[in-house]
Amino acid sequence: MATFVVRRLIASIFIFIAATYLMYILVALSGDPLEDLRTSSAPNKQQLIEARTALLNLDVPPPLRYFIWLGGIFGLTGKGFGYLGVTVQNQPVNVLLGQAMGSTLQLVTLATVVAIILGIVVGITTALRQYSGYDYGVTFLSFLFFSLPIFWVAVLLKQYLAIGFNDFLRDPAIPWWLIVILALISGVIWMSIIPRKGIQRLYTFLIAAVATAALLVYMELTDWFSNPHIGIVGIVLSAAGVAFGVTAISTGLRQRRALRASIIVAAIGIAMYYPFMLFISYYLTFWTWVGLGVLAVAVSFAIGWFTGGADKAPVARTAAITGFLVAALISLDRFMSVWNAYANSSRIKGRPIATIGSSTPGLEGSLWVMGVDFFTHLLLPTIALILISFASYTRYSRASLLEVMNQDYIRTARAKGLTERTVVVRHAFRNALIPIATIVAFDIGGIVGGAVITERVFGWTGMGALFQNGLDHVDPNPVMAFFLVVGGLAILFNLIADLVYAGLDPRIRVS
Amino acid sequence: MRIRRFAAAAATVAAGALVLSGCAAPQSEIVEGSSLSVAWNQPFYSYNGNTSFGNATANNNITYATLGGFNYYNDVPELVKDTSFGTYELVSEDPLVVKYTIADGVKWSDGTAVDAADLLLQWAALSRALDTPDFDASEFTDPDTGEFTDDFPTDVVYFDSGADPSVGLGLVSTTPEVSDDKKSITMTYDEPFVDWELQLTSPLPAHVVAKNALGIEDNQEAKDAIYDAIENDDAEALAAISSFWNSGFNFTEMPDNTDLVLASGPYMITDFVADQYVTLTANPEYTGDNLPKVEEITVRFITDPLAAVQALQNGEVQLISPQATADVAEALAALDVTVIGGYEGTYEHIDLQFDQSKSGHFNNPLIREAFMKVIPRQEIVDKLIKPLQEDAEVRNSQVFLPGAEGYDESVAENGSEAYAEVDIEGAKALLAEAGVTNPEVCMLFSSTNPRRANEFLLIQQSAAQAGFNVTDCSSPDWGGLLGTPGAYDASLFGWQSTSLGVTNGPPPTYTTGGINNLNFYSNPEMDELTAALGKEFDPDAQIEIMKQIDKILWDDFYGVTIFQFPAVTAYDQNAITNISPSTLAPTIFWNIWDWEPVSADAE
Repeated sequence: MATFVVRRLIASIFIFIAATYLMYILVALSGDPLEDLRTSSAPNKQQLIEARTALLNLDVPPPLRYFIWLGGIFGLTGKGFGYLGVTVQNQPVNVLLGQAMGSTLQLVTLATVVAIILGIVVGITTALRQYSGYDYGVTFLSFLFFSLPIFWVAVLLKQYLAIGFNDFLRDPAIPWWLIVILALISGVIWMSIIPRKGIQRLYTFLIAAVATAALLVYMELTDWFSNPHIGIVGIVLSAAGVAFGVTAISTGLRQRRALRASIIVAAIGIAMYYPFMLFISYYLTFWTWVGLGVLAVAVSFAIGWFTGGADKAPVARTAAITGFLVAALISLDRFMSVWNAYANSSRIKGRPIATIGSSTPGLEGSLWVMGVDFFTHLLLPTIALILISFASYTRYSRASLLEVMNQDYIRTARAKGLTERTVVVRHAFRNALIPIATIVAFDIGGIVGGAVITERVFGWTGMGALFQNGLDHVDPNPVMAFFLVVGGLAILFNLIADLVYAGLDPRIRVS
Repeated sequence: MRIRRFAAAAATVAAGALVLSGCAAPQSEIVEGSSLSVAWNQPFYSYNGNTSFGNATANNNITYATLGGFNYYNDVPELVKDTSFGTYELVSEDPLVVKYTIADGVKWSDGTAVDAADLLLQWAALSRALDTPDFDASEFTDPDTGEFTDDFPTDVVYFDSGADPSVGLGLVSTTPEVSDDKKSITMTYDEPFVDWELQLTSPLPAHVVAKNALGIEDNQEAKDAIYDAIENDDAEALAAISSFWNSGFNFTEMPDNTDLVLASGPYMITDFVADQYVTLTANPEYTGDNLPKVEEITVRFITDPLAAVQALQNGEVQLISPQATADVAEALAALDVTVIGGYEGTYEHIDLQFDQSKSGHFNNPLIREAFMKVIPRQEIVDKLIKPLQEDAEVRNSQVFLPGAEGYDESVAENGSEAYAEVDIEGAKALLAEAGVTNPEVCMLFSSTNPRRANEFLLIQQSAAQAGFNVTDCSSPDWGGLLGTPGAYDASLFGWQSTSLGVTNGPPPTYTTGGINNLNFYSNPEMDELTAALGKEFDPDAQIEIMKQIDKILWDDFYGVTIFQFPAVTAYDQNAITNISPSTLAPTIFWNIWDWEPVSADAE
């Protein structure tokens, strides 16, 4: 194992150095870094050209200049280890890299997490409903999204989700025909997801359609889009739903202790609703809010642990998940409660969904207002990123689960009379995750560098901008900083993926 | 009851008197709490736009609003003096003596007076007269990093302003005299320089430089230290001052030390989030003529042109000036916004190599003339520029900026109309007269620029009809090839104009051996004219000389100008008014103080 890792690392380092050399030469030869000065009619043109030449060592040919840059990395220039040089604008690349990394991580972390969770959930469910309308629908959509160019998706999202939705908010009335269409669509979706035969399919369709229509009419009547809320009734209903749903998947509803613990946790959450909304939430900062969330999970876990009897661990797990989700729901309602004030503030002027940037300039407010601001800015780029990575996750997890479901041990599990839940969740799902884990590892390595276009289109100046500005100015230093981080992560996570695979799948040995 | 009424009346009168007395002083007609957002395509990165690397529009647009200056270009374009900041007068032409005086009551945003110390420092930096002589910074520049090494001598004065000792303030080698009231300085040029008006740009706060460079606490002491250092040529102090001037004003987010963003203009920087936006707020200490009308202006950095258009549509910004592309023009046309077409300072042109060309054909004036006749200038504008800007026109002057004084008159008489239309027959006749068949013309242009590649194709097709064999000498490194003997026959590129100063344009470009003379053009008559232009102080006489230069260039078959780069500005007329972009930098920002919010209920 150790020799494998060491051997891989040594080989990687040499490949990486060769790659940086190639990259540096390519960037340096991609154009003329003095082009803008050469066409300038400034009287001190010659001095400006000399100044830039001295700043970036343009008098040294690129193949040799690379070694100057490499020397900087290894601290041979007295600037300390890891010195990345300056840009054509005389800004230290190290500082820029730090800022760019922060900005990019903010943008892509949430998108990646959501894409992974959503992709796996949808992939698993399509595998379980193979060849249903739902399966075909998801297959069609995921390939459609996969083949869309992101700059185009981004423009469409901005046009309809931001500009269109903001226009809609000016007078948020849903026309009746749209309600009918949405209700019918919802009916078809639910009908294809829920496995029923004959007349029962019709019932599913009707229930889903009527429920959707009722919800939309309720939203319309209460002016929900101007003043969104879940409310105590909504919280009670959804907390109950969470308690039953989580228990059903986590342990099965026959595990009465788990169900009881979940219901207790949900009830405590509901009891905390008014104190939180009216009092506690006004005194929170970001970190105390996170702390409160951790506390909620810990308390839920403890409740499960002490009421769990013989099955402490699964019951505590179920209760903790329920606690987390109920706490999240209540926080969501709190965020919604400031929506109206946010949208109508003088900085937003009634157009809350943003198309560019990461925050509204000059906006100041409570944790909740800033949270909503973060959400309105992150919404579109996150959706754009999810849409393109969604396809690969759904396809991989679907294929992986289908393969596992055909294994002999699944047949054995069914034959010995286990419930379908136990077969799917405990025997199939866990094994299906093994190949997906390696893909996730790759993707995490790729997220930092993978959003160049998304960043540009949504005005997030991060790693992508560092890369692109460097290329535009034929300035290798920022491009190399980008390449070092992205390339380094790719190599590292490739290695991690291999090790994870070996760790998860006992049939594979690395040596 | 009666007493109360009387008191009310008295209060009303008193309030009225207060209001009236308030009107007497120049008062900002600011709309309280008003804010506007404008998009720019590059992040701000240095508060000192005078360094060799800080001189970029992204910086100068901001400092234009925050640092007062003696003059600026308006939208005509012509030079406007801002006498509320200060005045300057030409004391004598030979020797050239200029006296600059700061107006009374002009203050930095920390309340310190703007005075001769600021001007003196600006002179020291832009003239580099006090720089350690013969000092070669590159000896102490780390070849690996481009920064100065630790053994950089501490007593070396080096202002990184890229000043040239033969032009501009570089010619003021003696320390200017400071008046007793410390309000004005008098500079004496070593030799006459006609663009003297443009040389002393907006000064930076000298006391902030001294405080940070020399570790002084008190503002007045800091100013005195500047006088001492410059007047006594104190190398040690100047070394620290120059070093801070070079690098102290570079930051990528709001500096902790807000002294670094002190303002003397209508606005001041109050917030700067890395790579996102700069917020400008009306400067409460500003008392000049250009009082702002909007309290807060946010400049957001949006690189992608279409993203800027959609941000405008979504109300996140109210004013944009994205790169003009066909997509942008189309997207803007569909919106309920006001779009203004305009020009940028850069113009596209073709130069013919008079000597040292690849094929040598263009040494013959007949072939030059023939080639100029077949360049489809109108077709290029129609096909490549009109989709971006409907009213685009061919530029017909080598010297004058369209719209500037002298352009129309010069175009009428410079002979450029002979090349308005493609004249295949005329070109064939000229080639026959020259006795050449199928001359090869190799064109140098940027291979990474699709528009230039398209222009090349249009020229190639048109020229082929007259028998020219136009070949492709393009290169990604074309800029480095300009002026290389034997590399090409004709070059297609753009010259940028940043001012109307006459010394920037004709003298370096058309004088024999000039720094921008890349096509080996040489005409004794032209040399005389450019020399005369460099000594002519009268603006009208300057224009007369430039008209002659323009005519000689066309008569000598120098080459052709094609078009001025199109610029597009769009704004939400329901949110902002008084937008009037200028061709010269700072383009849309030139009248930032006139921008006015439109109240929402006016819709």
